[in-house]
Parts: sequence; C-alpha cells; structure tokens
Amino acid sequence: MGGRGGGGGGRKARNFATFRLFPRAGAADPNDRVFVRVDNNDYTVPGFADEDSFDPSLSDPSAGDGNFHSASGPLPEHVRREILELGLPDDGYNYLSHLRELRPAAASSFVPSSTARPEPLPLDVKAYDASRVRVGPSDGELDEGKTMCKVAAKTAPVRRIEKAVDPDVVRLLDESDVSHVGSEDEGLEEDFVIIANRAEGEELEEEDIEEWNGVLSDVEEEFDFEEDEPKPRVRRLLDEQFDLLALEEYGDSDDDDRVVKDGEYELPSEAIDELKLFQSQNVCVDEEYRTPADFVRQKVDSSTTDEVDESAHVIKKCAEYAERYLNETAEEEVVVLVSESSDESEVWDCETIVSTFSNLDNHPGKIETPGIPRKRLPRVFPGETTTTNDIIKLHGKEKLPVEYLPQRRRNGEKEKKVKPVEASVTDKFKKGAEKETKEEKKARKAAVKEEKKEARKAKKELKGLYKSETQKAQKVAAVTGPSSIRLIYCGKHFGLFEIMT
Amino acid sequence: MAAAAVYGGFKGRKLGVEDAPELQLNRIRITLSSKNVKNLEKVCADLVKGAKDKQLRVKGPVRIPTKVLHITTRKSPCGEGTNTWDRFEFRIHKRVIDLISSPDVVKQITSITIEPGVEVEVTIADV
Repeated sequence: MGGRGGGGGGRKARNFATFRLFPRAGAADPNDRVFVRVDNNDYTVPGFADEDSFDPSLSDPSAGDGNFHSASGPLPEHVRREILELGLPDDGYNYLSHLRELRPAAASSFVPSSTARPEPLPLDVKAYDASRVRVGPSDGELDEGKTMCKVAAKTAPVRRIEKAVDPDVVRLLDESDVSHVGSEDEGLEEDFVIIANRAEGEELEEEDIEEWNGVLSDVEEEFDFEEDEPKPRVRRLLDEQFDLLALEEYGDSDDDDRVVKDGEYELPSEAIDELKLFQSQNVCVDEEYRTPADFVRQKVDSSTTDEVDESAHVIKKCAEYAERYLNETAEEEVVVLVSESSDESEVWDCETIVSTFSNLDNHPGKIETPGIPRKRLPRVFPGETTTTNDIIKLHGKEKLPVEYLPQRRRNGEKEKKVKPVEASVTDKFKKGAEKETKEEKKARKAAVKEEKKEARKAKKELKGLYKSETQKAQKVAAVTGPSSIRLIYCGKHFGLFEIMT
Repeated sequence: MAAAAVYGGFKGRKLGVEDAPELQLNRIRITLSSKNVKNLEKVCADLVKGAKDKQLRVKGPVRIPTKVLHITTRKSPCGEGTNTWDRFEFRIHKRVIDLISSPDVVKQITSITIEPGVEVEVTIADV
C-alpha cells in the first residue's frame, strides 16, 4: 500500500492514475472496451490510455486548449484585432475563448422592426371597415336589435379588412408626447346631459319626427293630441284584423314595452305632416275635453275660426268614412282571404304520430297466431327404412312422432300385451267371471296408464337430449325470420327438422 | 511518504535487477467487480495466470465482501390482498489483484481476458 504514512497535515500525495474499462463509443460490440481515465490527478502514465476517442485527461495540460497554445507566443493578428474590436484589452490572453454564441431565444435587447405587421386578428374575429357607413339619424331608438339590423343592412358594400387597428390607437401611437396635454378637452363636460337635450330640443322642430325621444315632453304631447283625431289613412278590414291579432298575441306585453312599441313603428308621412302642422300651431290641450261638434256648434267660447272649420271638416270626414265603411261591408268587394298559416297543416294527428314508419317502406301485416304445422312433412325420413306408414302422427307440444319409432312401439306393444295379460290372469284368480269386465277395464286402464307413463319418460329423455339444440335453433329462428317457423325434433335418429307453415 | 521511502529501498533493489529492459515498474491494482461470480472468478483466474506467466509479482485475488442490495416490494400491483412481499437481491462481487509490472504488460493482459459483465478498474501508482 502506498502512502499510508502520509501524515496528518495535507492530503496524501495523489500520485496514481486510475483507468476504467469502458465500452468504446459507437462500437457495436459491448466487449470492445478501452481504458479511460477516471481521476483528476496529475500523475501521468504514458503507456496506458493513449486513445484519442475520448477526451479523458482533464488534468493533462497538453490536452484540448483550443487551436493555439496560449502560453506560446503572442496571439495571431486576426485574433488580436478581434479582441480589440470587442473592447477587450490586448494582453496576450485569448478572450475569444470566453465568447458565447447568442441564441435567438437568449436575445436580451429588443430591436423594433421597421417592417412591423400589426397584430393579426384572432381566427374567430372578422373585422369590417365601417367608417363609410352612414347610420341613420335615429339614434334615439331604444331597441338595439332594430338599430343593429338597420346598420347591418347598410354594411353590405363594406369591405372586410385583415388587420384591425383602432384609429385612436394608431393616433396615440403616432402622436408625440406633446399632444397629450390636449386630451383633457376631449373629456365630457359635467352637464353634458342638459346640453345634449337642449340641443336636441332645438333640432326637433326642423328634423323629421322619426327621431323619437321619449324624454321630451312636447313630442309626447303632440302624440296624445293626435290620437283624438281620426286616422289620416282609411281603415280597412285588414287593419282591424291586425289589431285584434296584435292584441291577442302581444296583449300581455303591452305595459312593459309600450314606450318601445310606440317608438318602433314609423309614423306615416301623413301623420308627420299633421304633427308638423300642430307644431307650428303650438296647440295646447285644454282642461276640458272638447269634441269637434262642440266647436262647430260653437258651444265653446274660445274657439277660433280655424278650429271651427277644422272641426267641421273633421265631422264631415267622419261621416264620409262611415258611409264608405258601410258600403264596403255591404258590397264585400274585397274579400280578404287570410290563408291559414301552415302551422295547422303541420299538426300531426294521433294516428300519424304513433308510428314513424310510412307505408312506402313498411308493410305491416296482420298479426296472427302461428298455425299448427300439419303439412309438408317428409314422407319418409331419411335413414329410416323399417316403417311403411304414410302418415306420421305428431303429438304433444314437441310434436313427437308417436308410434313411429320402432323401439318404443315395440315396447309399448309389449307392455300393452304384458300388462293386460297379467292383470287378467291375476284378476281371474281373484274373482269370478262376472268381475271380469271390471277387471278388464281396470287392466285396460292400467295398461294405458303404463303406456302413457312410458311415453312420458321417453319423451322427457328425448327432450333432455335435444334441449340445447332446440334452444339454439329457436334463437336462430327468432333472429332470422318471421314467427311461423316451428321447430320439431323427432327421435334421436334424425336430429332437428324445421317446419314452415 | 515514509512508507514510500521504506519501499523505495526495497524497490531500488528490484529496479536494479529489472532495469535492463528499461521498463518503468508501477504498482498496479486491478479491481474487478461484477454481479456474476462465475465470470468474475474466471477473469480473476485468467489475470493471475497471465501475470504469473509473465513472471510478475502478483498478489492473488483478494475477495472483498459481497455487497448485497436488497429491494423489498409488495407483490401486488394494487393494495388488495394479503400483504405479500418480494425480496429482491442484487449482489456485487469484488476482487482485487495487485501486480507490479509496467503498464504495457498489464494492458496486454487485460485486453485478452475480457468477459462481459465484469467491470475492470486499473489503478497505476509509482512503485
């Protein structure tokens, strides 16, 4: 053992080298191994692990140092130039060995590109340039859906754009910091509501009455007043029907969106004209209710000539309309046929809905009890040669051919013969001739009983034998065809037969 | 260091004898470890034989006590059932052979006898 008395001071002198056998890199054979140094000591063993396939010695100074020995002489010119370019001192040390390749992910500084694309739209968003679309002046409509529809209808010729950058954003991006000072003016005034209303109030007198503003009171007044007048348009039967229908269907919701409803429909131009007229007149509603007749008859004191004339006109018109209406109903020249909507015709009746099959592809038949298969029996079973019977009678549920199988028949006959003989013999011993009939009957009955017993036993046996077969065949029949297939099995000789009725 | 000096004297004599071929003698320790005793013993025997053929001083295979790593796991993949446990073992056998020779010879020897599954570690020190 070397160096054991090393002493308590420093570490033991490590003047040894350790090599390990490793499989050669890239070698197919795992047994192809070479010695590789596994320690970091300074000790060199010249003759040992001399292969260059590994880079074993980390301690050997002669191993990998880049291209040049840094200790040997000054650095080459281009190296020195590069070092100087980087700003590093030219002291003979090759700082280039410490340079690191910048990977794209490790870029720390952001360089804004001059050919920047604005952020593309996400895939589920479509942008349309609607800057040219003129929205109607009816910005007082409360029903958003209606407004949107109207606007949307007008956006048909609008072109679709790929990049949507808000113009405000663009403006903000482009602006310098100086212009931010003026942003205060863009804010809202404190009393903007009043200003807006005031402005709108002034505009209404000039613009169309289409502009509905439920807030303004003078507009509502006009409308109320207008209801007292007859409808400017001739009222037809259809109108009444429509009103009825509307009441019927929407009668409940009248209260909620009355205001909305009022705002929904546009007043016909005649109504607008009338309203304009009234506007100009500045008519005010009196406390008391006045009919046109009052004006005409001059019951009212403060009636003007205009009003009187108007009232007269109104009365005349009413009369005319009434006459016309009467005439219309008498003549019935226009019979408005309102065809029933297709809803009723689409109502299904009970019969139709019970089955979704149509007779085109479904031919239902009458369900009948499957008949008892009587015909189409093979006259002679294949393989059976002894019997000569033409008709084979099948009895019982399983349709066993009774008296067909020779075995059983023989047995049965034997027993039949045996029993009555025995019975009669014994009986004769017991009683006299007078009792014979009774005994005979008894014997006969007993014989029949025995026969039946035997038949039952045999049948059970047979049934047991072929039970599984029957089940299988029944399954198949249930799957494949209609219910008129009956399965029979006859005797252990022949297996199963199918009978079709 | 002291031991080295002691050995140095001894070594010096030895070197004098073997100086003729100009071979640097080193103390070489070959450590063989394996899971497989049979292979290991075979390799050991081969090495010792080879060294003895070359008339090297060999200190015969020293058997280091076997290290046994135990792994005890439940047999069941789920937690159900009687708690039966598997007891697995992993045995590591280690042999050490000391030689005094030049590194080339050792390289020759070790290159011949290569057995799969046996890990060979060679430590070369000054004589």
